[in-house]
Amino acid sequence: MVRALLAACVALWCAPAALLAQQPAAGPAAKPWDALLIASFNIQVFGESKMSKQHVVEVLTRVVRKFDVVAIQEVRAKSDEIIPSFVRAVNADGSRYHYVIGPREGRTVSKEQYAFIYDTNRVEVDASSLGVVPNPQDKLHRPPMHVRFRTRVTPADQAFTFWLVDIHTDPDEVPQELEALTGVFQSMQALRPDEDDVILLGDLNAGPPEFSSFKRIPGIGWAVSGTTTNTRRSKTYDNLVFAQPATAEYLGKWGVLDLQSTFGIPLDTALEVSDHNPVWAAFYPAETRSSAAVNMAGQPPVVR
Amino acid sequence: MSDPAATDIHGLIEQLGSGDAGRRAEAAEQLCRAGSAAHEASVPLVVACGDGDDRVREWAVAALEELGPPPGGSNSTLADLAASSHPLVAYWAITLLGRSGQDAAVAAPVLATCLEAADLSVAQRAAWALGKLGPAAAVARDALTKAATSADPRLARLAEQALDSAGA
Repeated sequence: MVRALLAACVALWCAPAALLAQQPAAGPAAKPWDALLIASFNIQVFGESKMSKQHVVEVLTRVVRKFDVVAIQEVRAKSDEIIPSFVRAVNADGSRYHYVIGPREGRTVSKEQYAFIYDTNRVEVDASSLGVVPNPQDKLHRPPMHVRFRTRVTPADQAFTFWLVDIHTDPDEVPQELEALTGVFQSMQALRPDEDDVILLGDLNAGPPEFSSFKRIPGIGWAVSGTTTNTRRSKTYDNLVFAQPATAEYLGKWGVLDLQSTFGIPLDTALEVSDHNPVWAAFYPAETRSSAAVNMAGQPPVVR
Repeated sequence: MSDPAATDIHGLIEQLGSGDAGRRAEAAEQLCRAGSAAHEASVPLVVACGDGDDRVREWAVAALEELGPPPGGSNSTLADLAASSHPLVAYWAITLLGRSGQDAAVAAPVLATCLEAADLSVAQRAAWALGKLGPAAAVARDALTKAATSADPRLARLAEQALDSAGA
């Protein structure tokens, strides 16, 4: 029955491209109840410099408001105030976004943080689920941050729950890191018996032709294919990776939010925002199997 | 600046040497936004990784991450910078040498000494770069053999791979 409902909703659902082209109104834009939009965005060197440019912050806030969850890479700042102040800017229109942020990671003194910014009207975080993937053999320059979400737009016992695993690979060790991420994905699949949905998303510094190691994961697939994801429209770096049939909630809708065309800005302004465009995919907000009702009891966030 | 490819790279390289930290940071940021057009700024950007200002360092690192191999003829300078006492300068000089692959054979001896750097990220990157040099890394066989016994799993693994790559 759920599958039938899903098919009907896919048929009726308004096209995400049209949705994403909408400009924000005076208040928060209404979002469809039947599609959860999950995005990944590498906001290159997201720190004090970027936050000091009002026109850049304006574009970034408009990007975030288009989605229900945004996995962010490349928060680079000594200050801990970058993401809180950015979320305040996002919420200036009455939106109700919140965030979780990981520890500073990297092998050198130049560190990065992952963050998730999410619409609290639409999803909630399992506070006990925040963590960084263990990396005892040091195979990943910036080990992924994982968080488990649950949608709030459907009854709790039917809500779509899922892991998001945020990653930014080292461009000089892409094959080795993709190999390690294959193991990470499988470990996340096995982490909890009550959770089969794992979405690995981020800046992979690689496109589908380089995903050979992922193909060892049964049913693996990815949203973004056959297009570019960087702002210069020359490379495919960013993606959302997940397996079927586990994540049958995927609606088959995805996109790259081209900063230039979406906001009508020239390349140099778009590059001030980031050298990456956001990528996204749409998911049905109810679980496709009944065993998904799980405890999302709030516990203090712990990042290992 | 409407076309990032038309950026005045030489002017920005000069600006990286400004006495004003704000101007240096602005130059590093613009070089970052210039993408591959900033290729000839590779060495100045490595030097900028040792800047006292955080903003300059972060934009320099971001630029270097995307630049690919350095210009031909810069490997001797980069080999000198690989021996820098500033870990971030050494790390990025070594990274660019590794990206040069076999063209960076001249740097094999200095990379061998970097394997014993106090900063682990520098030692690991030196092992990684030696693994990209191919047979030229054979001159570092003794240092790589020692590094392969390191308690640090990444350094040991990369040293083993470099020994295999060198045929040593």
